[in-house]
Amino acid sequence: MADTSTPGRSLTARHVGGVYGRSLVAQIRAITEYPADFWVMASAGVMWNVLQLAFLTVLFAAVPDVAGWDYHEMVMLAGLLSVAAGSTALLCDGVWSTGGMILKGEIDYRITRPAPVVVQVATTHIGMQGFGEVGFGLVMVVFGWIGAGLGLAAVPVGILGILCAIVIEGALITVFCAVNFWIKGPMSPFAFMLIDLQNSAMNLPLGLFPAGVRIVTMFVVPVAFVNFVPVAVLTGHLSAWWLIGTPLAAVASVLAAVGIYRLGLRSYDSSGH
Amino acid sequence: MTQGFAVDRAFATVAFKRRLAYKIQWMVALVLGGGAMLVSMAMWRNLLADGALSGYDWESMRAYIIIGFITATVVFGAADWHIADRILDGHIAIDLTKPVDFQRARAAEYIGSMISTVPTVIVGVVGAWLLFDPPGPASALAGVLTAVSFVLIFPLAFGITYLTVLVCFWTKRYIGVMWLREALLGFFSGMMIPLAFMPSWLQAVAWALPFPHFTTTPAAIYLGRVDTAGALGLLAAEAAWALGLWFGGRLVFRQAVKKVTVHGG
Repeated sequence: MADTSTPGRSLTARHVGGVYGRSLVAQIRAITEYPADFWVMASAGVMWNVLQLAFLTVLFAAVPDVAGWDYHEMVMLAGLLSVAAGSTALLCDGVWSTGGMILKGEIDYRITRPAPVVVQVATTHIGMQGFGEVGFGLVMVVFGWIGAGLGLAAVPVGILGILCAIVIEGALITVFCAVNFWIKGPMSPFAFMLIDLQNSAMNLPLGLFPAGVRIVTMFVVPVAFVNFVPVAVLTGHLSAWWLIGTPLAAVASVLAAVGIYRLGLRSYDSSGH
Repeated sequence: MTQGFAVDRAFATVAFKRRLAYKIQWMVALVLGGGAMLVSMAMWRNLLADGALSGYDWESMRAYIIIGFITATVVFGAADWHIADRILDGHIAIDLTKPVDFQRARAAEYIGSMISTVPTVIVGVVGAWLLFDPPGPASALAGVLTAVSFVLIFPLAFGITYLTVLVCFWTKRYIGVMWLREALLGFFSGMMIPLAFMPSWLQAVAWALPFPHFTTTPAAIYLGRVDTAGALGLLAAEAAWALGLWFGGRLVFRQAVKKVTVHGG
């Protein structure tokens, strides 16, 4: 099937942004129709982070540091990952539906519309847990920031880190969900594995793991740039030069997401053919 | 009675086969469970390099983490979505017309799906045993009682899952409820960190809930942290929770089923 991820080369960024914005607003309107779901999902997002904070608090009552990282630095690490994951849920949660849409042939009519398919798919849903994750994640970042003794001078670096974290996280999830174009299935097991392993491993300092893990998380699937590298630079565990890698990883992730989704659309053959 | 068990067996078998049909789920479960286990091993090996903490040394922690892997794989790999979907998409209306008890039928399906995770558990445990060489059970009796506590996890997990799935009578989506349950279970079971590390008030909160029986109870028995009487007491508490949650589920279902709406009707 022809590459139609960017139909009509004349589509402007303004037009695409408008479609994206209006689609998200429509989803927010839908959310307000189901308040019970909103509160359950937002509470789940908060609870997950409260328990993550509780885990760190309990752990650090017994140990002074984990691989040289103290309590507040670890709280920042967990908080930044939560902000990135929660923002992705709010901004492009629909990419998780890619597999289901491919199976049911629901990509068909999205190809005919004058907007990039990935944008249309990404805005078919909002993960309401994101409200809780972003809210409490920011609380954890600020708490860790103050506790680690970081001042206002480092705020621009922190903002850059958060913005790049959101972009990298969203792009990587899109890449792993796009695998469904070739490995068919209603779920997105590879994206799910990415998130789950990230939640397990990337809340901890990379120094705990073998060199192979560090190389993969920095240069193959750059999840280390979501939270580990920015926090390590801010807290002095890594040289400031590493910060250059964060926007580079963001650009590379977005290019990979767009490219792989486009390749996937080329191999898309609707349902039943 | 015999016919009732035959129906249970049929539901369990269908659920088991349905899970086996999706082979990629095995790989996913192994990567997720195995990955989490390796991360825990890396963290605790670092923390326990200088000696024991809160009564756990590196040797006992290795066994503890593998026990956590077993229970997490069995519990998180079960097909709770299947029950939730039947409530959310209205198929429960058909279930209610069938001459079978709704809760008992779902229990059979759920336990059938839990059994389908056993191959993943076996592969994971054999791999972990070869890699980390954990200590064996404190005694042969401790090994047997640990196995009993694993068996009791099946009805206990269903009791907790069923109660939380019933929330779908009031909501339109299940995933948030599932995350809440898994977060609470992961923390208060001791999967994330052994309860012994927690302050006494938090341990009291945990033991007032059914969650510690998912990791702390089998680990305590296996490692010989409790004597035979203590182990039997823990197993009795685990069984009591399973029984209480079963009847709690019945009570909630009676109220919840009044909320059934199918496509707005």
